[in-house]
Amino acid sequence: MRTLVLVALLACAGTSSGYAPGESDSDVGAKILAMEHVWGHAYVSKDPKALERILDDAFVNVDSDGILQTKAEVLAEVRVSTVLQFLTESMVVHLHGNTAIVTGIFLIKGMEHGKPYAQRERFVDTWLCKDGQWVSIVGLVTRIGQ
Amino acid sequence: MRTMGWLLVLVCATSLPGWTQEAASSDAATAVRTLEHEWVEAQSHNDNRALDLIFDNALVYIEYGRLVSKGDYLLRIRSAKPQLQQIVMEPMTVRTFGSTAIVIGSYRETTVKDGKPLPKRWRFVDTWVFVQGHWMLVAAGAAPLLK
Repeated sequence: MRTLVLVALLACAGTSSGYAPGESDSDVGAKILAMEHVWGHAYVSKDPKALERILDDAFVNVDSDGILQTKAEVLAEVRVSTVLQFLTESMVVHLHGNTAIVTGIFLIKGMEHGKPYAQRERFVDTWLCKDGQWVSIVGLVTRIGQ
Repeated sequence: MRTMGWLLVLVCATSLPGWTQEAASSDAATAVRTLEHEWVEAQSHNDNRALDLIFDNALVYIEYGRLVSKGDYLLRIRSAKPQLQQIVMEPMTVRTFGSTAIVIGSYRETTVKDGKPLPKRWRFVDTWVFVQGHWMLVAAGAAPLLK
């Protein structure tokens, strides 16, 4: 529930630049970083509801195996997630008007078939202020050291 | 990766499932698709001047899990030695969202190591933004296709 409230508060103001009146770059960046955290939390909670609202319907992800995933496939993955911990580091937001690029690293730990695993991967996500709401339109993940 | 291209073969593009034809046929999509080919062409000739015009100064590029800036990327191209390498671009799809465009595609790369060809296939995602009358590349990345 707290996650849903957070997402509701993250609406951009509907301006063409994606900024609310008086809003600074750091305000917008903080909003988008908060949504990145919502994204990671969805994998731990296995609850795709919040994620569903921050991914554009045309969202596409490229996973670390180079496989294309649609929004529906990502949401399905969340429902059966084996992730127990999702941590992010070095996240940076680059703003380009109503478009934002986020780069960062995530570390996930989980349990699959009774065996623990850990992965550290670098990602780049593209966000767009669309119809007054920041949504992610594409993402790509690569393994560090691959 | 595309950073070391020497011998290039371009393949005409087709659409990926789920992406609309009308988006692909728009002027913006055509312009971005042309820039994608100009990028490969410029890189094949170590033409940093052309790349400088295509890349936004805040470009972020991800390869092999590393984050590369525009400066790092251009420095590497400038110092790259010609290698026997082939890059074959496969179908790419452009989706436009107003002043933002996303390109998703794949390419085959063959490098030569110890006299033996090493083929690899990559999936890439590029983000372009329309700034002051020009489409500029602001983010790019590629992941090796392992399956």
